[in-house]
Amino acid sequence: MDMKKKPLWIMIVALLTFALVLGACASPTPEPTEEPTEEVVEEPTEEPVEEPTEEPVEEPEEEVEAPTLVVWADETRSPIIEEISGKYAEELGIEVEVVQLGFGDIRDQVKVAGPAGEGPDLFIGAHDWLGELVANGLVAEIDLGQKADSFFGPAVDAFTYQGTLYGMPYATENIAFFCNPDLLSEYADGERPETWDEVMSLAETIEENSDGEATAWTIQTNDPYHMFPLVTAYGGYIFGRSEGGYDPQDVGLDSEGAIAAAEWLEMMSAEGHVEAGVDYDVMHTLFEQGQVACIGTGPWALGRIRESGVSYNIGKFPAGDDTNGRPFLGVQGFMVSAFSENQLLAQTLLSEVVASDEFMQGLYDADPRPSAWLPVREATDDEDLAAFAEAGAEGLPMPAIPEMASVWTAWGDAEELIISGEVTGEEAFQNAAEQIRTQIEEGQ
Amino acid sequence: MTVDVQRHRGSKGPLDALSNNLGRYVLVLLGLAVLDALGIWLLYRLLRDGAWPVALPILAILLLINVLNLSPKLFPVRWHIPAGAIVILIIIFPMVYTFYSAFTNYSDGHILSKQQSISRLEQDTYLPEGGTTYSWTAYRSPEGEFALWLVGPEGEDYLAMRDSFEDVEPGEGIVGPADEEGIPAELEGYQRLSRVEVIKFLPDLDGVKFGQPPDQVQVVNLNSVAPLVQRYTYNEERDAVIDQREDVVYYADEEVGFFISEEGEQLQPGYMVWNGLYNFQRLFSSSAFRGPFLRIFAWTITFAFLSVLTTFALGLLVAIAFNDPLVPGRKIIRSLLLIPYTLPGIIGVLIWRGLLNPHLGVIPLTLENWIGWAPPFYTHPMWAKVGILIINLWLGYPYMMLISSGALQAIPEDIYDAAAVDGANSWQQFWNITLPLLLVSVGPLLIASFVFNFNNFAVIYPFLEGRPPMAGTPTPAGHTDILISYTYRIAFEGGRGSDYAYAAAITIVIFVIVAVLTLIQYQFTRRWEEVSESV
Repeated sequence: MDMKKKPLWIMIVALLTFALVLGACASPTPEPTEEPTEEVVEEPTEEPVEEPTEEPVEEPEEEVEAPTLVVWADETRSPIIEEISGKYAEELGIEVEVVQLGFGDIRDQVKVAGPAGEGPDLFIGAHDWLGELVANGLVAEIDLGQKADSFFGPAVDAFTYQGTLYGMPYATENIAFFCNPDLLSEYADGERPETWDEVMSLAETIEENSDGEATAWTIQTNDPYHMFPLVTAYGGYIFGRSEGGYDPQDVGLDSEGAIAAAEWLEMMSAEGHVEAGVDYDVMHTLFEQGQVACIGTGPWALGRIRESGVSYNIGKFPAGDDTNGRPFLGVQGFMVSAFSENQLLAQTLLSEVVASDEFMQGLYDADPRPSAWLPVREATDDEDLAAFAEAGAEGLPMPAIPEMASVWTAWGDAEELIISGEVTGEEAFQNAAEQIRTQIEEGQ
Repeated sequence: MTVDVQRHRGSKGPLDALSNNLGRYVLVLLGLAVLDALGIWLLYRLLRDGAWPVALPILAILLLINVLNLSPKLFPVRWHIPAGAIVILIIIFPMVYTFYSAFTNYSDGHILSKQQSISRLEQDTYLPEGGTTYSWTAYRSPEGEFALWLVGPEGEDYLAMRDSFEDVEPGEGIVGPADEEGIPAELEGYQRLSRVEVIKFLPDLDGVKFGQPPDQVQVVNLNSVAPLVQRYTYNEERDAVIDQREDVVYYADEEVGFFISEEGEQLQPGYMVWNGLYNFQRLFSSSAFRGPFLRIFAWTITFAFLSVLTTFALGLLVAIAFNDPLVPGRKIIRSLLLIPYTLPGIIGVLIWRGLLNPHLGVIPLTLENWIGWAPPFYTHPMWAKVGILIINLWLGYPYMMLISSGALQAIPEDIYDAAAVDGANSWQQFWNITLPLLLVSVGPLLIASFVFNFNNFAVIYPFLEGRPPMAGTPTPAGHTDILISYTYRIAFEGGRGSDYAYAAAITIVIFVIVAVLTLIQYQFTRRWEEVSESV
């Protein structure tokens, strides 16, 4: 046996040794690449023989390889980022490489590529990713410097996590309350409902006058994001706020206000004003076909609503007991990777190039949403977007704490159980709050 | 000597080739050497980046290639290398990695190694009390050395270089005369950089300290330099991170993967550690497990069983119907019936999701028109399950049709002739001849289909994400959830983000369940075989 094995292992060891030598010879590849650049630099020196004194001074500068920044952005924004930053990069003697990824993929990929050293220097993202990004050590602190005052305050607050600023915001987004004035005047008095109670009585009126062809309001059956303005209108909350931001120990889905909102929804369902099985498409189709007078939706739906030709106006959410419904405020911005080797340069690109009217206007034009850059935000002449900004003026930043992961499903399921009439509003929200507490406690 | 042994044994090893065809042998060796060189280079890069989980399978494949090419005994099976490589890469490696992950705390907040976590913490800096922030102008020597001219808030100016921090006036020493803004136009041996020019040198200035403590500054941004101090330092002896600003010590806790202070405060980010059986303990003591687990388990088995039963029944029916050569155009019809099999499953599910939509879907709208009622496929627990089974039937019957067609043709005609002579009608022939003989050959495939459907996340999740929700469960669960989609909920839609290690642990538990079920089913196929022997 030994006799047979010997040659095999000797052979393998010999091969590997040989391969190691080959590998060692091949590894110092970066060095030879410098040669051609030197040649290029040397060539022009031959021509201006008359001014030899100036040449040596300039030469070392040209030897410096232009530092490269890698930016990750989605398909809507990468062309404009590439265009504007490319233009400035040339002036500044740096290179900017824009890599296009799906917006949601950026979040997942940063997690994988960052620690492996393959990640970007800068990336765009939403502020509510911060809990996860910070817990994983993926983002670096940034400094808006003298330009801080030019940013929309709540947007900067949203990118501040546990007292530290981690992003430069460029756009805000929130949902607003859309109503169809034609439908309202055809079957009712034409007035937008100001309170949720009015929404309920409006539903009765419209259904009666239209023989059940139309109703006042609908909502996605399992979608807490769109339900939030209803909860806040009655004074409900998701996580209580303390000095350091949202407090995961204080779950407010079974607070008095939240349960009042749940009971309102229960009543709507019991009276048959709201149906189950509605998803994003159904909600919008019903609104666009004039079967529903009002829905809550965001700027991303403006395109399809305008295209459908339905008449609409945009405004604040109805009020509950006292305040108007407050939607979630989402903020998008640029973040600097903690694994970037050029953090100083990346931050400088943000403060010198991105934080400018031209860049922010470009981002706005590529995807119209209320800008986080005040000069552009205030100059917005699009009435719809101005209305969105107004509806979101009282908006609450979506909690960025990682515990939010426990909230969405529990809350959405509670909403669905109420709408399908399986449990009472109180029961559904109490159980959802318990589910959230259990998951936070049992999560690692 | 060894060569002799090889010859006498008559093996066709490479050493035989040596005597027969030296050139070819050298070629093999050279090829191997080049491959090994590439492989070692790759391994070196991967290990340098700490990516040893990826390096391991590559090492295994590399060794496999070498052993198979060099071992005289294994030389004949070297054509199995591609298959072996694929087995290692896509079967063994994911299994080993899943198993390994299940015993760690790999999850959001613990994705970095301890070393990475420490270097992330060491990045943080702070401005100590009384620290002054200066505006700055940079000068660069042809050798690439930098000097900074600093102006403080009260107009005081300093020259900061690598090792010195001096209070000098323009015109003194190497400092040239001031321009109209009071900043020296030049330093001897250095060239002044404009605000724009300095940008491309920022990577060289990043983190570089100028001067000596306490007068030591570094560049903060284009407008300022400041005497920043590193906030967290790692002390290897105490295995602790010390917060210099707040003067707090955070000790490494190797059980949870965090640096923790005596008050119990954790530093972010945490890091990955081994935690033994913790994930399994967590699972079996969790509310998610105690709660709706049994109901979900029961539906998982029902779903898998009914999926196999319905797809096999329809597939067999179609196969028998079109097995008869008298059916006109049967080849075309059979091809058309295969269409669901050729579509990616996820697209099929999404199309069906649209068809069953209670408000816009063709099927509910048509039914409502005809009979005034449509099943609530999205919202009613039972009808949602029916919807899932319909979708899976559509997706799965072509496969059953294919395997049944093949198996049908293998049943000898004379058995049917004999049965007809004995007076058996076609129904009796089907139950007593066709089905038992068919089951012998397709039985194992049905079991495989059961196992596949047991974990058929790709049908359950895209349809309704496991909904409609169950009421009153301790953690969220849905009526159409099967174990694997429930696992997804527990590990990725709860807690504090994605929990990969926990998911891996639950997957292992599911694997054990599936393995036991499969073993039980194989006992059944044995019985079918006995039946076939008695026919």
